[in-house]
Amino acid sequence: MTEALPPRGDNIAPSLNKTSASTAHSKRNSQNIAVVGAGLLGRLLSWRLLSAGHSVTLYERDSFENSRAAAFTAAGMISPMSEVVVADRSIYEMGLHSMRLWQEWLHQYPQHFSGAYQQQGSLVVAHPQDESELAQFYQDLNYHLGTDNDARWLDQSELKQLEPDLSNTLQRGLFLPREAHIDNRHFLNSSLTLLQQLGANLQANANVSLNDQALCNEQALSPCDLIVDCRGIGLKPNNPHIRGVRGEVLRVESTEIQLARPVRLMHPRYKLYVVPRPNHQFILGATEIESEDRSPVSIQSSLELSSALYTLSPAFAEARIIEMDVNLRPSLPDNLPAIFQRKVNANQASAIDVIELNGLFRHGYLLAPTMVEQALALIEQNGSIQPFSDQLLKKCPTQNSSL
Amino acid sequence: MTLANNNDSLTLYDETFTSRFLLGTALYPSPQAMLDSIAASRSEIVTLGLRRQSPEENGGAAVWQLIKSSGCKLLPNTAGCKSVKEAITTAEMSRELFETDWLKLEVIGDDYNLQPDPFALLEAAGELIKRGFKVLPYCTDDLVLCQRLVDVGCKVLMPWGSPIGTGQGLLNRYNLRTIRERLPNIPMIIDAGLGAPSQAMEAMEMGFDGVLLNTAVAKAQKPALMAKSFADAIDAGRMAHSAGLMLKRQTASASTPTIGQPFWHQNR
Repeated sequence: MTEALPPRGDNIAPSLNKTSASTAHSKRNSQNIAVVGAGLLGRLLSWRLLSAGHSVTLYERDSFENSRAAAFTAAGMISPMSEVVVADRSIYEMGLHSMRLWQEWLHQYPQHFSGAYQQQGSLVVAHPQDESELAQFYQDLNYHLGTDNDARWLDQSELKQLEPDLSNTLQRGLFLPREAHIDNRHFLNSSLTLLQQLGANLQANANVSLNDQALCNEQALSPCDLIVDCRGIGLKPNNPHIRGVRGEVLRVESTEIQLARPVRLMHPRYKLYVVPRPNHQFILGATEIESEDRSPVSIQSSLELSSALYTLSPAFAEARIIEMDVNLRPSLPDNLPAIFQRKVNANQASAIDVIELNGLFRHGYLLAPTMVEQALALIEQNGSIQPFSDQLLKKCPTQNSSL
Repeated sequence: MTLANNNDSLTLYDETFTSRFLLGTALYPSPQAMLDSIAASRSEIVTLGLRRQSPEENGGAAVWQLIKSSGCKLLPNTAGCKSVKEAITTAEMSRELFETDWLKLEVIGDDYNLQPDPFALLEAAGELIKRGFKVLPYCTDDLVLCQRLVDVGCKVLMPWGSPIGTGQGLLNRYNLRTIRERLPNIPMIIDAGLGAPSQAMEAMEMGFDGVLLNTAVAKAQKPALMAKSFADAIDAGRMAHSAGLMLKRQTASASTPTIGQPFWHQNR
């Protein structure tokens, strides 16, 4: 933060005094925070910290426009109901909470984020021969949600009304009206612009390590009050329980077909979905392979993904594959997110607190706002009163600890 | 287990186990849920696959370390392999990576229901046994196939109950009884198709030596609880088999005569 100029003369002192008093007030709570990693969490947190009056230096190993962060590959589904089926009820509750935060936060900057977040619900479908997969999905949804479940069965004509371009072979589907999706690149690009406008200090090509010492490109990290570690897989040297889960997506383009909302295809072996993007593009994802291999998309995965897409609508046969992408989801053993607290430079007078946000797994855009809200509360030291502190605040594992 | 069953161990390729429940390690909601389920299942053998995890890139290492931490014997499988060559390559990679010559041999003949290819299975089993593997083949319940697998040197068989992941239970009881009766000295583990603990219990009551499953536990809403449920059912089924099941009878017979009714009236 820049210092307020001292008053130059008595005649203008009252108004300036008022200004400097309010500046002094915010400065009392204002901290100089280093955020490491400019993926989804790093950007969202930096934005919220700047909005709360803190000063932020955001470090990124690659460039801000094109990094290895999983956020660039994600399809951006915000689907608390579909995810509860394969996870834990806390995912659903944190997901709903995040949806409220997304709407509130994005609404504050319509010029940046207008259109990025869409709440059109989502569809879950299966081919007639895999009907039992759909029935199982519905049963699992009821198991977790009971009366909270507002999923609605659609027959073929209702399905057609909602998404006219879907294949005629689909005979029924489930509509999940509360689900949303976000255009990840729109968010990532616009949040970068916003961070620049809000005065973030952006450091690209900055390889930060936070082992015993806080270093940036092998020099001491610039002084700060607190470090927030949002490096995802990059946290691995500090936390042996972090692992990467490979995900592969295709981005295709077709003017022959329109979808207003994400469609999930239930299949005995694959979890696949297609999410619409602007300019006739669609993201098709995602494989989930227990491997930290970043090599290109395999033939098998591309076949699985593209045949699923083709069966949703034969019109996709003429779509063009414009991108194939691979990334790693940063995950903890229970596949749930967690916030850890530790120190670097621990044996020195200059010991610094580090807050680690990690483990978003396949729930990045679904859960990031709740994580960020909790981190913000920790930084402003009212951490335990947040709604999900019990789920998110975990004890920091050490190199030698078992699970 | 009760005192009477203390010595009722399972021997496979000269190794003995107290648990008759083999558990798969795929499809769990998280690695933690998998570890909790292994513990609850009391299993001593777990299967794991290396396909699609790029072992040459150290892929899957994180999860394999977790599986190893369970302390169970590892039974690598060749899941998803569709040819003899593919299965042999995967088997050799598994042996090197997991340092075991035990192998659950799976050669898939049909992509949709993952039915074993009996012809390729037999060929691959023969070749792998020559190469020193201890092969546990995932096979159908066909008597002649089972006999041929034994002929090429398999000392354990793993016939299916029904196709992988269907939860249909024991679909062909006639075939299953036949292979059990005709190959009484070969340990047989019912592998695949079981959806409910009652189905696993039935397999054990029929005299099968163990049960291997994955989906029914991994896809349960509470996997660890389902693992315990299967473990208890498998124990109960084994005890029932050891105790000797009564035969079904056509007519009901009261265990004590009904007082006040003349004996010659009771069978009317």
